[in-house]
Amino acid sequence: MRSARALTSLGLATTAMLALAACSGGGAPESTPSDVELRMTVWTSNEDHLALFDSIAEAYMEEHPEVTDITFDPLPFEDYTSTVTTQIAGGSAPDLAWILENAAPDFVDSGALLPLDETLEGTDGYEFDDLSESATALWHDESGGLVAYPFSTSPFVTFANDDLLKAAGLPTSAEMQAAGDWNWESISEAGSAVHASTGKAGFVVRDFDYVTWDYLASVWNGWGAAPWSEDGATCTFDSDEMIGAFEFLHDAAFTKQSMPGPGTTADFFAGESAFTVTQISRASLLAGDFAWNLLPLPEGPEGEYSVVGQAGIGVLADSPNADAAAEFLAFFTNPENSEQLAQFFPPPRESQLNVDTLAATNPTLTPAQIEDVVIPGIEAGVTRPSHTDSAEIAQEVRGALDALWVPDADIPGTLEDVCTTIDPLLG
Amino acid sequence: MRTDAIARNSGPDAAAAQAAAVIARPVLDVDDALRDQRAPRDQRAGQGRGRPSPWRKVVLYGLLSVLAIPFVFPTWWMITSSFKPISQIFAFPPELWPSNPTLDGYVGAFTAQPFALQYFNSMYIAIVVTVGTMLFASMAGYAFARIRFRGQGILFLVVLTGLLIPAEVTIVPLFQMFNSWGMIDTHWPLILVSTFGAPSVLATFIMRQYFITLPVELEEAARIDGLGRWRIYWSIALPLSRSALAAVAIFTFLHVWNLYLEPTVYLQTPELFTLPQALTRYTDAYGGEMWNVQLAAATLTALPVLIVFVFAQKQFVEGLAQTGLKG
Amino acid sequence: MADATMTTPDRASARSGAAPTSDLASRRRKRPLLSYSTRDQLTGYLFIAPQFLGIVLFVLVPLVLIFWYSFNEWNVLAGTFRFVGTENFEKLMGDPKLAPVLQATGVFSAGLVVFNLGLALFLAVLLNRRVRGITVFRTIFFSPVVVSLVAWTIVWSFLLQDNGGINGLLQLVGIDGPNWLREGPTAMASVIVVQVFKNVGLNMVLFLAALQGVPSEVQEAARMDGASDRALFWRITVPLISPTILLTSIITIVGSLQVFAQIAVLTQGGPGISTTVLVYYLYQQAFDFHHFGYGSTLAIVLFAIVLVLTIAQWQLRKRWVFYEN
Repeated sequence: MRSARALTSLGLATTAMLALAACSGGGAPESTPSDVELRMTVWTSNEDHLALFDSIAEAYMEEHPEVTDITFDPLPFEDYTSTVTTQIAGGSAPDLAWILENAAPDFVDSGALLPLDETLEGTDGYEFDDLSESATALWHDESGGLVAYPFSTSPFVTFANDDLLKAAGLPTSAEMQAAGDWNWESISEAGSAVHASTGKAGFVVRDFDYVTWDYLASVWNGWGAAPWSEDGATCTFDSDEMIGAFEFLHDAAFTKQSMPGPGTTADFFAGESAFTVTQISRASLLAGDFAWNLLPLPEGPEGEYSVVGQAGIGVLADSPNADAAAEFLAFFTNPENSEQLAQFFPPPRESQLNVDTLAATNPTLTPAQIEDVVIPGIEAGVTRPSHTDSAEIAQEVRGALDALWVPDADIPGTLEDVCTTIDPLLG
Repeated sequence: MRTDAIARNSGPDAAAAQAAAVIARPVLDVDDALRDQRAPRDQRAGQGRGRPSPWRKVVLYGLLSVLAIPFVFPTWWMITSSFKPISQIFAFPPELWPSNPTLDGYVGAFTAQPFALQYFNSMYIAIVVTVGTMLFASMAGYAFARIRFRGQGILFLVVLTGLLIPAEVTIVPLFQMFNSWGMIDTHWPLILVSTFGAPSVLATFIMRQYFITLPVELEEAARIDGLGRWRIYWSIALPLSRSALAAVAIFTFLHVWNLYLEPTVYLQTPELFTLPQALTRYTDAYGGEMWNVQLAAATLTALPVLIVFVFAQKQFVEGLAQTGLKG
Repeated sequence: MADATMTTPDRASARSGAAPTSDLASRRRKRPLLSYSTRDQLTGYLFIAPQFLGIVLFVLVPLVLIFWYSFNEWNVLAGTFRFVGTENFEKLMGDPKLAPVLQATGVFSAGLVVFNLGLALFLAVLLNRRVRGITVFRTIFFSPVVVSLVAWTIVWSFLLQDNGGINGLLQLVGIDGPNWLREGPTAMASVIVVQVFKNVGLNMVLFLAALQGVPSEVQEAARMDGASDRALFWRITVPLISPTILLTSIITIVGSLQVFAQIAVLTQGGPGISTTVLVYYLYQQAFDFHHFGYGSTLAIVLFAIVLVLTIAQWQLRKRWVFYEN
């Protein structure tokens, strides 16, 4: 932004209008190393999360008196990336930022993030090699440097409301699984029956809402589908696998009515649907008003599969306090703190991905659930789709997919249109 | 009518004024309309078709009542639903009255976001801009109407361009300008642009049109008494223009109170948000819905202004009648 | 205000400003440093300074800048700003979304004008009679104007959900309502209707004022000539209030080009891009995708449309001048 800002200032100086221009702040004042204030943008506003972050920050500031303040700045999740980007554009970039996996390529490729390898490796007791390769895959820049720490690798799982299933006279989720019926077809059948007999919703792909289509990755991976090729250059929305997945979803929404249709909202955690597919971290929303169960993703035609959502923490290279921020990040994610963070965010450290560590910090989940659902989910998980220009691709796909969410949709035709629309962006 | 007088002018001034008249018209005519309502009966001979028969009256009331539904029902539904628990909001059949009223939504409105602070932000920005606009627009309007200075017509034309360029056109460069001044994520862009930029031009125009109608004798007498321009403007012209100022105040306040694009672009910190922006941000930590909370916040946002309107409508109309400036 | 009290600014200022200067100067105890008219000129400049400088800084400078920006592009994350020549204009010409966006803008504006003016005139005619309680209805129809725009729109977004209040009411009478905001035609219609109910009160009041300005003698005369109520309305009343009709339609069109919050809350431009109007598209490009250069190019398009409408309005007014006298 520096050059843009200079140009604007130039244009204004020539018009020589108000004293206001003279008062302009320009850049942030040079902070002396003795008075460092750090700001990290996050998308959680959960009080327990923030309390934990604050306690880690307190501990850090005790050891590092030059850092006088560390704030965690919660931004709304729905337009988090856009807001952070606008902050960067608006000259008020944070020092550290959570980055969602779908925006990772934009941040990683632009050079906006500071490479972290040296700082992390150079920190005593950091155990840099403990970071799993699959967890960090998304966060390496062209030269192979790690530019963000993947603090959360959260598997997509299925939550079931057994009370609703019973009310509809159906077997519980555990019984379904035991009977070898834990697949999308059975879920859709059960969901349909629940909807017919209770009026509640069948299954909900949480946060999708017929807008945020990339959450459907938790479904289409069961069909072996992907939105684009590995290298991101070719659109594969029109593949047979993807068509199969969307035919299933369309059938569920409009024929079986096992999934709420567009414009209808149902919140699993308020007891309004029988199943939901979402990230494990949402377990914190369970209030205990109904009997629930945690299961892996249902099998698709391609068999078992799992999907993870990832989030990284990066240091903005342009920050005047970039080095101090990187050092704080090294502390924030050292083995002990990583273990604490693990109660909310499954860590990238191989040594901590075990039942003992996770069970100790996750009171809502049973050790069996962690062993059967969480750990295998993380280990085998395919990451949610990501690409450069993610905001624009997201918008274009969303727009093109709208044609699919009507009762008599041309599914293959619509998916072909999706590819036509986003091909120029992928290339 | 007012526009005729403008048409009789010549030169750029007239063209510009004509352009402005298009946009200024609604406001001016609202006063006219409201004042006419208060005019003595015999002066309103032109209106209506006399007294309708009782049968026609019933039809009229029936028709008006049906037509009123889409104007009343949303507000009614907003207020009543804000007292419902979240699971009842989309219950079928829809409830017209909450069967289990709860204040959860209202509590949530203040805990999920710094709502009181956001309310204060909206309120103080609207008041600062309204007062500022009343002052600067009346000053400019007074000068354009009553003082002769070189280049007046051209300068007025330049000011009027503000009416022809919607704020949406200039939002990108304004963002970059405020960015270069370090004013992003502050209230300055909202206050400065609304007070001095395009939105205030309408106010200047209204004030100018009003000051033009003041009798010259008032000023002459004041000048003989040795009053300077500022005193004439402040102690004589301004008090006489209460009705125009009231119109400016109401329209400026509503405009600023409703701003949405601008705060969305300029503000990023919840503590700095204004109400319209805050209303769209009621989602839980993971993007889940908080309908009852959102409706409670919407009710708190809408209701006070609505109540003020119901009372102020009367005040406003009577204020107009008392100024003795009937056509 | 009536014609009689109107004074042109020239005459007004001639009388109040220049003429009495000498007269006044002789009465002053102290001789001023500058002559009265010079001081008065200075005062004039000072009085308009805040407003004038504001317009230059916040309207004219940005207006010049959008032309400059449209020849450049940013990469916000990489922090680069570079000159790209006519790239943005080529992008505009080849943008497959431009045509649907302009079409949506046109449909929205046209739909809004027709429905808004039609309803406003209808309500004004209904309210234009001396019946007890009529002001209550006037207050009701006007009240959404003062309700916060976003609050109003959010409420409608709930009501228009598939399982929302509107379909709930329809279901009570046995109608299976459409999924208003998710199907192209009904989504556009919904956005228009929500906007009309919000603001129709303003135009209604304007029409009411115009109707009350129609001279009763003209109506009486026509009635004596045996004109029916309908003929009276279409042949006498409508022509007499036609300046108001023209003015309100232009205000409504220009206002419709600025609609943003309603789209953002109700449809986010969907389904597809069926409700993506120009301002919303501009916002998306500039502030969601951070293509500030292309956003500026779209701002030029918006500016051009407003300019053309303004010129067209000047031309139209010339022809309608008869009715204004």
